[in-house]
Amino acid sequence: MVDVIVAENLVKRYGDFEAVKGVSFRVRRGEVYGFLGPNGAGKTTTLGMLTTVIKPTSGDALVAGYSVSREPWKVRERIGVVFQEPTVDRELTAMENLLVHGLIHGLSRRDVERRARELLEFVGLEKFARMQVKRFSGGMVRRLEIARALINVPEVLFLDEPTTGLDPQSRAKVWDVIRALKREGVTVFLTTHYMDEAEKLCDRIAIIDRGVIVAEGSPEELKKMVGSDLVYIEFEGDPARLTARLSEYGEARLLRNNTLVLKVRDAPSLLPELLKAVEGVGVRVKSVRYSRPSLDDVFLHLTGRSLRDVEADWREALRMRIRARMR
Amino acid sequence: MALVEQVERVGKARWWLQAFLVMVYRQTIRFLRARSRMFNALVMPLVWFTFFGLGWSSTFDRLGPIAKTLFGGLNYLEYLAPGIVLMSAFVGGFASGLTLLFDREFGYLKELLVAPASRTATILGRMLGDSLAATLQAVIMLAVLAVAVGYTNPVALSIVVLLALVTAFMASAIGTTIALMMSSPEGFHGIVNLVIMPLIFLSGIFYPIKTLQQPLAILAVLDPLTHPVQLARWAMYNVVEEPVTLAITGTLAYTILFTTTAIAKYGRTYIA
Ligand SMILES: Nc1ncnc2c1ncn2[C@@H]1O[C@H](COP(=O)(O)OP(=O)(O)O)[C@@H](O)[C@H]1O
Ligand SMILES: [Mg+2]
Repeated sequence: MVDVIVAENLVKRYGDFEAVKGVSFRVRRGEVYGFLGPNGAGKTTTLGMLTTVIKPTSGDALVAGYSVSREPWKVRERIGVVFQEPTVDRELTAMENLLVHGLIHGLSRRDVERRARELLEFVGLEKFARMQVKRFSGGMVRRLEIARALINVPEVLFLDEPTTGLDPQSRAKVWDVIRALKREGVTVFLTTHYMDEAEKLCDRIAIIDRGVIVAEGSPEELKKMVGSDLVYIEFEGDPARLTARLSEYGEARLLRNNTLVLKVRDAPSLLPELLKAVEGVGVRVKSVRYSRPSLDDVFLHLTGRSLRDVEADWREALRMRIRARMR
Repeated sequence: MALVEQVERVGKARWWLQAFLVMVYRQTIRFLRARSRMFNALVMPLVWFTFFGLGWSSTFDRLGPIAKTLFGGLNYLEYLAPGIVLMSAFVGGFASGLTLLFDREFGYLKELLVAPASRTATILGRMLGDSLAATLQAVIMLAVLAVAVGYTNPVALSIVVLLALVTAFMASAIGTTIALMMSSPEGFHGIVNLVIMPLIFLSGIFYPIKTLQQPLAILAVLDPLTHPVQLARWAMYNVVEEPVTLAITGTLAYTILFTTTAIAKYGRTYIA
């Protein structure tokens, strides 16, 4: 079995409101699969259905080979989950949290204790094993939760916005942990509303907006949907011949500071050929760089809105709601 | 280190027991670390015993021996003591529902709901853990009151401790069931006053139920707390206002009924 998650037409309705409007996708064993979308897109709801804590209104998903609606127990045995909001036991110590989890998941005491020690070390918390979790920082809690979710050797690890609300250093540490997971071959399903996070960590990404998957693919594939990369060539010599020569590859434009911009479809694979072409025209190339469309450009292209703007709107709406409540 | 390895699950029966015991452990540990909770379930019964009990007891003493006939030959403080002990067990056990609501507020309930262990095992373990904590409170109360009324029979005291455990467990099942139907801890406090106070007053802790008028007399028999209270007073002083078999049956039947309800409700719980 290659696909660890097979979601088919998952729908979740709250009253009249459809939070998830029929999403289908597959996650392969060993990959990091990301759900990228703004707040309210339906990421948490989908993750809740996949982890058997939210009942789908219709549709179903196979997780680790079992149906989330018909065999939730089998699914629960085979997954690890880190929810968006912390779910640690704050009164217990880090080690106690791991022990309770492992024993409830049916591991023997010996295995639990061994794995708990190994995993605390893996997430860099071995020095805090005996500290009560209420004294942990947000980043430490996140890492502890990742360790806890791994105790029972899940076939897939679910992470709901693993770095939201963390400071940059804590984020970087959580990213390191996720990259290490990937090296170890753990399948990860994560959600995020950060483009950079999705791009850095994920093998494949589904972009979700208003309960619908609007695009799916590797970060590279998604960016190709938008079209062009921009290649910047800084040079010394005659601009006219260079421009003429490179126009064969795409739309070329001369900038003032002896730099030429070339619009191409796929800069990385074209670069060697471009450099060879330049050799014949008698100019000296001083530097070459290229920029690619960001995932934000992809989101804009697909939805007509920018992920950043949606985020800002959402913040503003939240602020107004809070203000209204205080009045 | 191998993150991905082959790890065996223990057998079904052992898994059940292990999930049950770990929840007992977790609930008692949490109780012992939150010292303030220790006092909550002690204060209310102590206040009643001291200010209500002592007050009425001196009034009844003025009536002389007639008063004693009202209370089966006991003086009023003796009459109160067994029920007050069970009251602390009941109040303490009911707080089990509150621990569940706090687990929901602080997210931990999700961690439990997504676990593959038998939900029956985890909810029973949680209820027993909370009940043991409440029983500890009742034992402290019992020690204080035994000294206050000069009671020493160890066999009867042990029976009262057992009754306190059963009462606490029954109360935790009621509290848990209500908590599973509530959306916030605030609402729970309202329910506490609405449910707990009438149950306590009608249970015959403070006044005889056999002289009650209808419909209160019927409500008193329907009150789940009545039966263990009668049994406790019977154990300590051989004073009981309903047939002992009814008291035993009532205690067990209600405990089983509410426990079954809590298990069923918890088994069906989703986050949304
Ligand atoms: N329990 C609920 N009742 C009603 N609406 C809900 C509930 N949970 C989520 N929603 C709504 O469903 C939409 C998707 O929510 P969610 O899945 O949490 O989004 P995300 O995780 O992508 O931010 C939001 O508009 C949210 O307000
Ligand atoms: Mg979310």
